[in-house]
Amino acid sequence: MKMHNTLGWMGLAAALMALPVWVQAQHMVGFDEIRGADTAWVLVSAALVLLMTLPGVALFYAGMVRGKNVLNTLAAVLGAACVVSVVWFAVGYSLAFTPGNRWLGGLERIWFAGLDYQLAAQQLSVSHMAVHIPEAAYALFQLTFAIITAALIVGAVVERMRFGALMLFMALWSLCVYVPVAHWVWEPGGWLARMGALDFAGGAVVHVNAGAAGLACACYLGKRTGYGREAFQPYNLGWTMLGACLLWVGWFGFNGGSALSADGRAALAMVVTHLAAAGGAIGWAAGEWMFRRRVSLLGLCSGLVAGLVAVTPAAGFVDMGSGLLIGAMAGLVCYWGATGFKRWLGADDSLDVFGVHGLGGMVGSILTGVFVSSTISGASGNLLAQTVAVVAVAVYSFVATCVLMWLTDRVTPVRVELHDEQQGLDITQHREHVGQ
Amino acid sequence: MANSERVATAAHLHVALRRKAGRVTDTDWMAENDDYAREVVRVARDKAREDGDAQLADLASKLEALLPTGAQLASPSVPPLAQRASRNLRESNAPGAGDAERYIGGLR
Repeated sequence: MKMHNTLGWMGLAAALMALPVWVQAQHMVGFDEIRGADTAWVLVSAALVLLMTLPGVALFYAGMVRGKNVLNTLAAVLGAACVVSVVWFAVGYSLAFTPGNRWLGGLERIWFAGLDYQLAAQQLSVSHMAVHIPEAAYALFQLTFAIITAALIVGAVVERMRFGALMLFMALWSLCVYVPVAHWVWEPGGWLARMGALDFAGGAVVHVNAGAAGLACACYLGKRTGYGREAFQPYNLGWTMLGACLLWVGWFGFNGGSALSADGRAALAMVVTHLAAAGGAIGWAAGEWMFRRRVSLLGLCSGLVAGLVAVTPAAGFVDMGSGLLIGAMAGLVCYWGATGFKRWLGADDSLDVFGVHGLGGMVGSILTGVFVSSTISGASGNLLAQTVAVVAVAVYSFVATCVLMWLTDRVTPVRVELHDEQQGLDITQHREHVGQ
Repeated sequence: MANSERVATAAHLHVALRRKAGRVTDTDWMAENDDYAREVVRVARDKAREDGDAQLADLASKLEALLPTGAQLASPSVPPLAQRASRNLRESNAPGAGDAERYIGGLR
C-alpha cells in the first residue's frame, strides 16, 4: 500500500502509535471465537515445518559433507534449532510480530507475555495477525520458520566453523537479521509490506535471507582446506535424498500452513507447492542432461528443493500452471547457480545455500510479481515492490551477517584450526565419530 | 609320454610315502597340479633327509625333474603381498574411475 500525501502519512503514524495499545487491550477473545479446524491445521503445519529442519535439513546437509564432519553437521542444525527457539521465546517473536514501527516491533510479547489461556474466563489470547487461532499456535508456527531459516545457513559454513561460535552467531543472527526482515515483510506495518511486496510463506524472509547470509558467512570464513584441489566425497547421498523428501512433505505445512486456515487457499497452496517441486527436479535434471549428459540423484534432490524455494513466496498467489513453471525455471536457474555461477563467485559456499536458496528465493519472489492472480488472492503484481524487497533483504542480510560474523569472531574464533579441520570436526568438536 | 612318465613316477612316490612316512597322497592330482607335486616333493625330501632314505630322495628328484621350470610357467608372477595390499587400499579409498573430478570445487 502506498501513501501519496502528508495527511496519509500522518494518519498512518497515528494509527501505528495507537496499535500497540489496541493490541494489549484487545488481545483476549472467547473460546467460541476460535476456529478449531484452522487451529488444528496451523498446529500440524508447525510440526511439519519443524520436521523440515529436524531431521529434514539435517539429513539433507549431513549426507553431502565428508564422513569426518557428518555428526558436526547434524549437531549444528540441532543446536541452531535450540538456540533460535530460546531467542524467539525471549524477544524474537515480540520484535517480529507486534506492530511497533515500520522497522521493528515492540516489546509487548517478550518472554511470550500476554499469550494467555484462561480456562475460568473461557478466554485466550490471539495475535492481530491471525485472530481466529490461538496466539500460541501462531507464535509456534512462526518459530518454526525462524528455526529453519537459521538452520539453512549451516550449509554454507560446514566443515570449518567452530561449534560454539556457530551457536553464538545463530543467536545474534536470528535476533538481528531474521526478526527485522520478518517484521518488514509480514507485519502489515512493515515497510516492505506497506510497499506492496508479496511473500506468501517466506521467499524473501527465509530463503533470500538465508542465502545471502550463507554467502556472507562463506566469504568471511574463507575456503575449506583443499577446496578446488581435492575431491570432497559426500558421505551418503541416500541421507540427502531422505532429507529432501522430508523437505518436500514438510513444505506442505510451510506453504499450506501459511494460509493460516484449513481452506481452499491452503489446498491450492499445497498443490502449487507439489507441482513446483516436481518442476524443479525436472528443470534441474534438464540442465544436467544438457550439459553433462547424465542425471544425478543429488541433482534431482537439489532441483526439487529449488522448486520448493521458488514457489514459497508465490504459493498463495498463483495458479497451478504457474507453480509448475516457477519450479521448472528455478530448477534451471539454481543448477546454474550451484555450478557455473558458483565458480564465477569463487566463494566456498559448501552446500550451495546461496545457489539454491538465495537464487531460488530471488527467482520466486520476482516471478510472484509476474504470475500473481488477483482472482485467487485479491492482490495485484508489483514487480518494483518485489525487486525492492529482494534487493533490500539480500543486501541487509549480507552486510549484517558480515558484521555479526566479525563480532562473533571477537568473542571466540569462528574458524577451526587447520589440523582440526583436517582431522574432522566430528572428533575435534565433539569427540564423536559416525560408525563405519 | 612325458605325462605317462609323470603319472608313473607320482604313483611310485605315492607308494613310497605311504610305506615309509604313513602319508597318503593324491596320485592323479600330483600328476596334474604342479604346485601340489612340488609340495609332495618337499615333504618327501624332508622325510628322506630325516631318515637318510636315498630311495625316497631319488623318487622326489625324479618327479621334480618332470615338473615345468620357472621359464615354462604360463601364469603371471604374483606381486608381493605388501604391494598388493597397498594397491587394494588405494583403489578402495579413491573415488570411482569416472568420479576423479566429480567433487572437486563443488558438489553439483
